[in-house]
Amino acid sequence: METAVVTNIQGYSIHDGPGIRTVVFLKGCPLRCKWCANPENLSPAPQVGFLQNLCRGCGRCAAACPNGAIVTDGDSHRIDREKCAGRFACAEACYYGALVRYGEELTSGEVYEKARRDKMFYDSSGGGVTFSGGEPLTRPAFVREVAERLRADGISVCVETCGFVPRSAFETVLDTVDFFCYDLKFADSARHRGYTGAPNDRILENARFLVNSGAEVLFRRPLIPGVNDGDGETEATAKFLKSLGAGGANLQLMPYHRMGQAKYAALGCEYELPELDVADPRDTESVREKYESLGVNCTISK
Amino acid sequence: MAATVDNSLCGRIDALDLSARNKAWHRAMKAAPWRVCADREKWTVQSWRETEGEDLQLRRAKLLACVLDNLEINIHPFDEIVGRPTPFVIGCATAIDVNGDYIPGLLSDGEVALTLDASTTLDDASRDILRESIGVFAGKTMREATERAWESLVGTWARDAEAAKLKDPSLDAAITGQSTSTLSWSKILRVGLRGYIDECQTRIADFIAREDADVSKIYFWQSAVIVLEAVIRHARRYAALAHELASAETDAAQKAHLLKIAEVSEYVPENPARNFHEALQSMQFCNLGKMLENPAQNNCHWGRSDQYLYPFFARDLANGIPLETLASQFADLIGRWGTQTFVTGESQRESHQINFGISSIMVGGLGQDNEDKSNELSYLTLHLIALLKLSSPTVCLRWNKKTPNWLMNKAIRTNLETKGGIPLFENDEVVIGNYVKDGIPFNEAVEWASLGCVYPCLPTRAEQYGAEGIAAFNLAGLLHLVLHNGVDINGKQTGLQTGDPRGFTSVDEIYGALLAQHKYFSHRIFWLGAVARNVQSDYYRTPLLSILGIEASMELGQDLLIPHPDYSLYGMSDRAIIDAADSLTALNELVFKQKKLTLGELLDALDSDFAGERGEELRQLCLRQPKYGNDIPEADELVRRLSEDSAKIIRDYDNAPFRRFMISREGLAWHYFGGLGVGALPNGRRALEPLNDGSLSPMRGADKNGPTAVIRSACAANYSGVSYASVLNQKFSSSILGSDESIDKLVAYTNAYMAADGSHIQYNIIDSAELKDAKANPENYQDLIVRIGGFSAYFVQLSPSIQDDVIFRSEFSL
Repeated sequence: METAVVTNIQGYSIHDGPGIRTVVFLKGCPLRCKWCANPENLSPAPQVGFLQNLCRGCGRCAAACPNGAIVTDGDSHRIDREKCAGRFACAEACYYGALVRYGEELTSGEVYEKARRDKMFYDSSGGGVTFSGGEPLTRPAFVREVAERLRADGISVCVETCGFVPRSAFETVLDTVDFFCYDLKFADSARHRGYTGAPNDRILENARFLVNSGAEVLFRRPLIPGVNDGDGETEATAKFLKSLGAGGANLQLMPYHRMGQAKYAALGCEYELPELDVADPRDTESVREKYESLGVNCTISK
Repeated sequence: MAATVDNSLCGRIDALDLSARNKAWHRAMKAAPWRVCADREKWTVQSWRETEGEDLQLRRAKLLACVLDNLEINIHPFDEIVGRPTPFVIGCATAIDVNGDYIPGLLSDGEVALTLDASTTLDDASRDILRESIGVFAGKTMREATERAWESLVGTWARDAEAAKLKDPSLDAAITGQSTSTLSWSKILRVGLRGYIDECQTRIADFIAREDADVSKIYFWQSAVIVLEAVIRHARRYAALAHELASAETDAAQKAHLLKIAEVSEYVPENPARNFHEALQSMQFCNLGKMLENPAQNNCHWGRSDQYLYPFFARDLANGIPLETLASQFADLIGRWGTQTFVTGESQRESHQINFGISSIMVGGLGQDNEDKSNELSYLTLHLIALLKLSSPTVCLRWNKKTPNWLMNKAIRTNLETKGGIPLFENDEVVIGNYVKDGIPFNEAVEWASLGCVYPCLPTRAEQYGAEGIAAFNLAGLLHLVLHNGVDINGKQTGLQTGDPRGFTSVDEIYGALLAQHKYFSHRIFWLGAVARNVQSDYYRTPLLSILGIEASMELGQDLLIPHPDYSLYGMSDRAIIDAADSLTALNELVFKQKKLTLGELLDALDSDFAGERGEELRQLCLRQPKYGNDIPEADELVRRLSEDSAKIIRDYDNAPFRRFMISREGLAWHYFGGLGVGALPNGRRALEPLNDGSLSPMRGADKNGPTAVIRSACAANYSGVSYASVLNQKFSSSILGSDESIDKLVAYTNAYMAADGSHIQYNIIDSAELKDAKANPENYQDLIVRIGGFSAYFVQLSPSIQDDVIFRSEFSL
């Protein structure tokens, strides 16, 4: 049985596909988008997070850590990531929820059992299960095993993907997935590389492959103010979508938010877009109208 | 009806605002000082002296007639409908004849508390009237007589159990004489009070012709005639006043309005209503009579108004009466009934935390043909509720598998508009199914209405629930007794001696001791109830409530305060099951399964209220044990087991010759009150802190797996199999309702729970930040409504600890 490192299985998710959904977050991502809202899902390995505001400075974590990775820092602590061996003794010891475990290795059977429990809500709302992350298609065999069993129960399956995976990953899951939410971050490959660490050619190729395979795809654009919302990007993206034919007719804009920022601090890493304002709804709307004027059915995720 | 809903009418309703009159009332109501009036007392004393030595049934009827004939009345310029129990916009009458000198502060400084933070000062003349009334009635009311009878049966036990918050304090809170929820509105509107009077006269004549035996029936019918005629005369007094005001009125439109009021008040409630205006006015006069008959229990309940008023509404619209006119009249009466105050005792203010008398209104639900009966008036009701933004009435949507999505969608939007809780959703099929299981025919069961929070009742049967004044008890408190060998929080041996708690060797032994305490306790409470019922009818009667409230009273010729083997229903609320079950789960884990602690260590920690560093460490350990609300099968299973065992003890009590007790686990704000009787618990709750709100909500802050896990736990607990009602509160951030699509998803979520036999759910749709700000700056949040276990309340009027509770409840930010 396949396994994967899962950070969260979140019920009543209402912004991740049709109906009420459960989102399974898998750890590990091949991209490093500077705006990423789920930094805890970038690394494939389990990690410990430290939420400073919940720490009461009791010191139980320091006493519990076998490697001395908890450094006392005045009334509070920080984690010496070099020394941390990822055993989570500190998180076990913490009473106040200040030390959290990001990621737990689960079998496909365990994930299936948890994800199917909300079937009553999927049935009433036309919802289902969504694999997200991280990049869930870094674990295609795992996704396939879970999805097959869910579909046997009549539960619809969605995969949210960045597209930057080998084509074989799509081929592995294709017949067990009802639809894909597919991120198109930039039409411009150089800028894509600049902001995500990788060029976009494979992503565009996979998009075309997926559409040509007859899969149902909702393309999505995380809309980062001043980064990928200019007219040139919009026109190029619309052009690409239209080149896909009917399968590329729909685009959803995902307005930028900063809710992930606290998690960067928890992981002891730097957030590279701190000065960016959250999206102004009026600007988002004008981008939406621009796409519409270019012949793309465009909606805004709320 | 669902299939043929008039979408264009619903669209016109969506565009409606409150009328100018409604807005003028709203302003006046907000600005009005709350008044307590002694006027009624003057006439009760006069009448009681005049009727000395007569039959009790007739005396009570004459007392009400004297009040209705003499009470000072008033018509306000913004009134669409007329009739209030006092001349003021917000006011209530005292009722020393019902409950004795229960009004705290009455004889000292004249400052009378109305709610937790509202009080009024009586003038010297009023205090003189009240003193005189006390001289006549004190010591001779049923409340006082009941307490004497209890004392003779169980000594100080009733008082002790109440002081330890182990049973409901309702008697001292003046809940007496309550026996039904909603008047027989359909019949009242169909036959008019003259129809009732004629039927009484016929029955009296038949009785005499047949030479029947039980002469007390004659007294009942005579008493009914007396009060019904008095209500008609009272309405005519308003007609006369309207005429008088009209003749002095210079504004032509207002003059016409007053003349219309006069015409309507002349015609109803004596005659059958012919249109929407007459129907509402007829209802108000009847309700006014009911309120003045027993001001201590003056709840104004609509029942299924979207059903019995619909023909009037539809006919008027077809006849060209503007929708705005009908809406204005409807909003007037909803607002009037929702802002009726009453004089309360201290413990009722603590345990209920309500500002106004409980009014409740139903929308939707199944009909006699088992089809859903939602209509455009249901839709208008929700719309007006959102516009009025009042904490009362409680609005209950009777959910069933055929409830149309257009009504559900409006209901969720109304939740968003009112910031939550309005309407609440209650499962029609669960309630009806429970009644049918209890031997009530479907045609009666299907007409159920809620009594205030979520407690269902039947308009056709007398509800002896409140009359006992003892109708709830505290399972967390019983666990406290088990852990202290029957000694309560005040150090008294209120419970059974179930043995030295340190000697228990398994969780099963503790569980057994809990059930033993339960039986000991609940049976004593049932005895007290039986005593109260016996005493009640010797001291008190409610002829108007009987004749207009329970249709069977007419045939039986019997006041509904006299219990009847078939027509009286009995209810009990066994509360804090989740607290007790989570505590047993934690205790079992820590002491018997993981063996991290000895029982002695745990009990010491509890008795010290988790004092010191070690205490806090143990408390955190307790908090981390499995909790109900997270879809953890072992935790949920114990809730289900305790729920069923508790229900079995109650159901097994032989209440002969009367019906067995029904169980209804409503919540109110009781968890705060109940918590004051419970020491620290193994679930990690500190001593005296509030218990879990609602009867089916998880421990606050303990539901860590999201809202759907709470629902799955609630389904696993399966209260619906044993209880008519159970309260599940969920708090959502308003961000979850940012789009039409997300509103549809909350509809689907609600449908899913209800379709899985969930019996009740209500939503708080509020941001934590907003609540904290409201606590700090109450002046900016006067309109903010929150739900507390079944009731809506103004947030800023709650006590600080309840405010913290609302803020604390884990918010699902989605």
